Amino acid sequence: MAKYILRRFIEALPVIFGVSVLVFLLLHFIPGDPATVMLGERASEENVQALRERLGLNRPLPEQYVIWIGNILQGDLGRTIKGNIPVSDEIRNRFPATVELSLFALTLATLIGVPVGIVSAVRRSSVIDTVSMLGALIGVSIPVFVLGLLLIFFLGVELRLFPFVGRMTFGIQLERVTGLLTVDSLLAGNWTAFQDALKHLFLPGVTLMTIPLAVIARITRSAMLEVLNQDYIRTARAKGLSERRVINFHALRNALLPVVTIIGLQLGRLLSGAVLTETIYSWPGIGKWLFDSIIGREYPIVQAVTLMIALIYVLANLLVDILYLFIDPRVRAAA
Amino acid sequence: MFYILGKGLSNVSKHLRFFSLAAIIVLLIAAPVAAQDALKTFTFGEFGDPVKLDAAVVTDGISFRVTRQGCENLLEFIPGTTQPGPGLAKSWSVSDDGLTWTLQLEEGVTFHDGTPFNAEAVKWNFDRWRFTDHPQHFPEAVFEYYEAQFGGFDDDSIITNVEATGEYEIVFTLSQPMGAFLNNLAMSMFSISSPAAVEKYGPDYGTPAVGFVCTGPFKFVKWETGVETVLERYADYWGEFTGNVDRIVYRPIPDNAARFAALQNGTIDAFEQPNVQDIPAIEASDDLYIMLRPSFNVFYLAFNYRIAEFRNPLVRQAISLAIDRQEIVDAFYVDGAVVANTMNPPTIAVGFNENIVTPYDPELAKQKLAEAGFPNGIDRVNVLAVDAEGNVTDEVVETIPVRVYYMPVVRPYNPAGEAIGEAIASYLQDIGIKAELASAGDWATYLAQRRNGELLGLYQLGWTGDNGDPDNFIGYFFSAADKPMPREGFYQNARVAELLQQARVLSDPAAREPLYEEAEAIMAANAERIYIAHGPVPLAFNKRVTGYIPSPMGDEKFSTIILTD
Repeated sequence: MAKYILRRFIEALPVIFGVSVLVFLLLHFIPGDPATVMLGERASEENVQALRERLGLNRPLPEQYVIWIGNILQGDLGRTIKGNIPVSDEIRNRFPATVELSLFALTLATLIGVPVGIVSAVRRSSVIDTVSMLGALIGVSIPVFVLGLLLIFFLGVELRLFPFVGRMTFGIQLERVTGLLTVDSLLAGNWTAFQDALKHLFLPGVTLMTIPLAVIARITRSAMLEVLNQDYIRTARAKGLSERRVINFHALRNALLPVVTIIGLQLGRLLSGAVLTETIYSWPGIGKWLFDSIIGREYPIVQAVTLMIALIYVLANLLVDILYLFIDPRVRAAA
Repeated sequence: MFYILGKGLSNVSKHLRFFSLAAIIVLLIAAPVAAQDALKTFTFGEFGDPVKLDAAVVTDGISFRVTRQGCENLLEFIPGTTQPGPGLAKSWSVSDDGLTWTLQLEEGVTFHDGTPFNAEAVKWNFDRWRFTDHPQHFPEAVFEYYEAQFGGFDDDSIITNVEATGEYEIVFTLSQPMGAFLNNLAMSMFSISSPAAVEKYGPDYGTPAVGFVCTGPFKFVKWETGVETVLERYADYWGEFTGNVDRIVYRPIPDNAARFAALQNGTIDAFEQPNVQDIPAIEASDDLYIMLRPSFNVFYLAFNYRIAEFRNPLVRQAISLAIDRQEIVDAFYVDGAVVANTMNPPTIAVGFNENIVTPYDPELAKQKLAEAGFPNGIDRVNVLAVDAEGNVTDEVVETIPVRVYYMPVVRPYNPAGEAIGEAIASYLQDIGIKAELASAGDWATYLAQRRNGELLGLYQLGWTGDNGDPDNFIGYFFSAADKPMPREGFYQNARVAELLQQARVLSDPAAREPLYEEAEAIMAANAERIYIAHGPVPLAFNKRVTGYIPSPMGDEKFSTIILTD
């Protein structure tokens, strides 16, 4: 299996390289550059040129790329153009926030979405099925900022049940070990911090959960429906197995393959950062940061983060493939 | 859970168990969190993070809002005005030729790291900004404002020498008189940092790990990007501290609606620039209130002079007469905004020409258009070529629709670029000019096209003054005379440039005043640029906050704030 994983990883390397070249070129070919953005309303031809020179932006593109990729290979992600702050420090601060929120949202989405999908399939065309699939449709359709702001005003401002700014209340001291505040607070045995971190996760988590939840529920339902029509299900029932056993062991296991795939893809998507959710909830993750960096033409940040996202997608796909090995004996045999 | 569901959701008691568990989790999450400490904390909701806390190398308002609470200047703007007054320098004098400034410094001042503030420290800071080979003039940093305000680096610098002539006396020698010299000294980016700290931390000075080390009433405590920046009162502060704030926390909350919600539920105490539509709710609230920062900005429509028709003064006058500025101000701006007739705003200390009025008269506009040779209006316009020297020629290279470009970002001077653009296009259509709204892409693209003179039509832009001086307002835009400026839509007016250059080197406000007024009058007579509005900036507060003094340039000190519980 190790050989299989290694092979898959090596196959992914050209993808990562391709992404790095593509992002580099796209960034440099869109009009406007960091010098223009930094100078804003005062950007004249002369001072933009002078600034470009100082920032090294007037070197030939291939030279800039080689310098950048060379530094990356040595573990140096560069410094931000405007503040001259190490990009790696920023990623270290921001990525755990994205990971924590993504895992929270995806766990909720899976814990709710899979059972809802199963029930909808088992009770096809029932009220439960109709209501949950309508809910799924609303979940995919409702704009994130609408849901987010509704939750903020109802649960945050009116009822004051949940905080909606950032990850932790000001003044709570917590040593950062993993950067995941729920984990760090448990490691430190700080129950107050744990509660506070969970409270802060709740609204952005619920907002971020809606789309994956809807997708997972729908995919689970359709996969289950397909499996439930198979001959071996009829055989299982004919053998006199309990309905619970038929659903849990015969149907669900076979229906899991597409569900796991979609969860893996959702994980990749969530880990790339959620611009709107992070913006509304002032969540210090990588999504909003990347968005602002594109607007501000912060080349080192955009390049480093997109490369990291490409890597995340590759790893998420790899994870899904490895899970296949456990779920599907046919894949195991092929590997 | 699958087990429960496998039963087909028929077992009610198990349902109850599930939902009870969920209810417990929610209650647990919603349990109150421990109270904070006793320090009086003022929390400001920010648009985003500072860029860097080394004031000399940044240009953004968010960074300055942090540094100006802890870093002080030789001169400070008198609160609420554009006039410079005493700061770290308690008095000053200038030689008759305007070339030598002598400043007496406050004694007994220390930096936050305990090192003494004196004339040597001032000289060190100015030398660092000026000399590109200074060890702390980091090549990766951009000392943009020094270059802009003092004419350049090294030998280009208007400040040719800075001499510590005593422990607390410093002498500046200039290569030419400079009307804005004192105003420049009061700009946030020219605040004095601890030389020892900058030398110790090198390029990391001003980063989240280090912050700033200056002399002001608040010292840097921490900056966690995306989360918060924290300052606390400096116990050994030399000056007067009229407020009672012990700690300042800046929380980046990028979304405007979320910032408003955070003010409503007490997460923050204040923020800048609420949505115009939220202001009535704030004013109606028992707990919140609005304060207006006097406008020190201008929103304008520039002509691109590569458009042949725009080179005709009658066409420009017609366009100016067609626009109902008052209606735009009433519809899109907060109360307190005023129609702009000139570049310089009424709040400027020197150089506001109050006699200029730009009327709204569509009938007269149509007459002017007819007089200009367009009795049936204008459908399309001709774009002229630019020769190798950068001059606009008579050769028509293409014919295009009449475009009104709108800004893709919100600014205090332009709260609704697209909607205002639509209004302007519609005013022009009313007099027969078939104008259409045009987008140039995102902000970076817009700025790049503006810089290169590629916004071929009328385009929106604006300006917020940096230092209260007219040379940083109208002077910044129109002082170059040698050739048309692409950045200004290929605008060129030698007389206007000459007047602005004359005013620049004078120190006496009374002598400068008529020069600026004449330049504005020339531009207004020919409608060389269309000024629309001066917009104030609303600030929203919780009522526990008093003592905040709004400054036209946003130069507000939180040390005057009084918090009540």
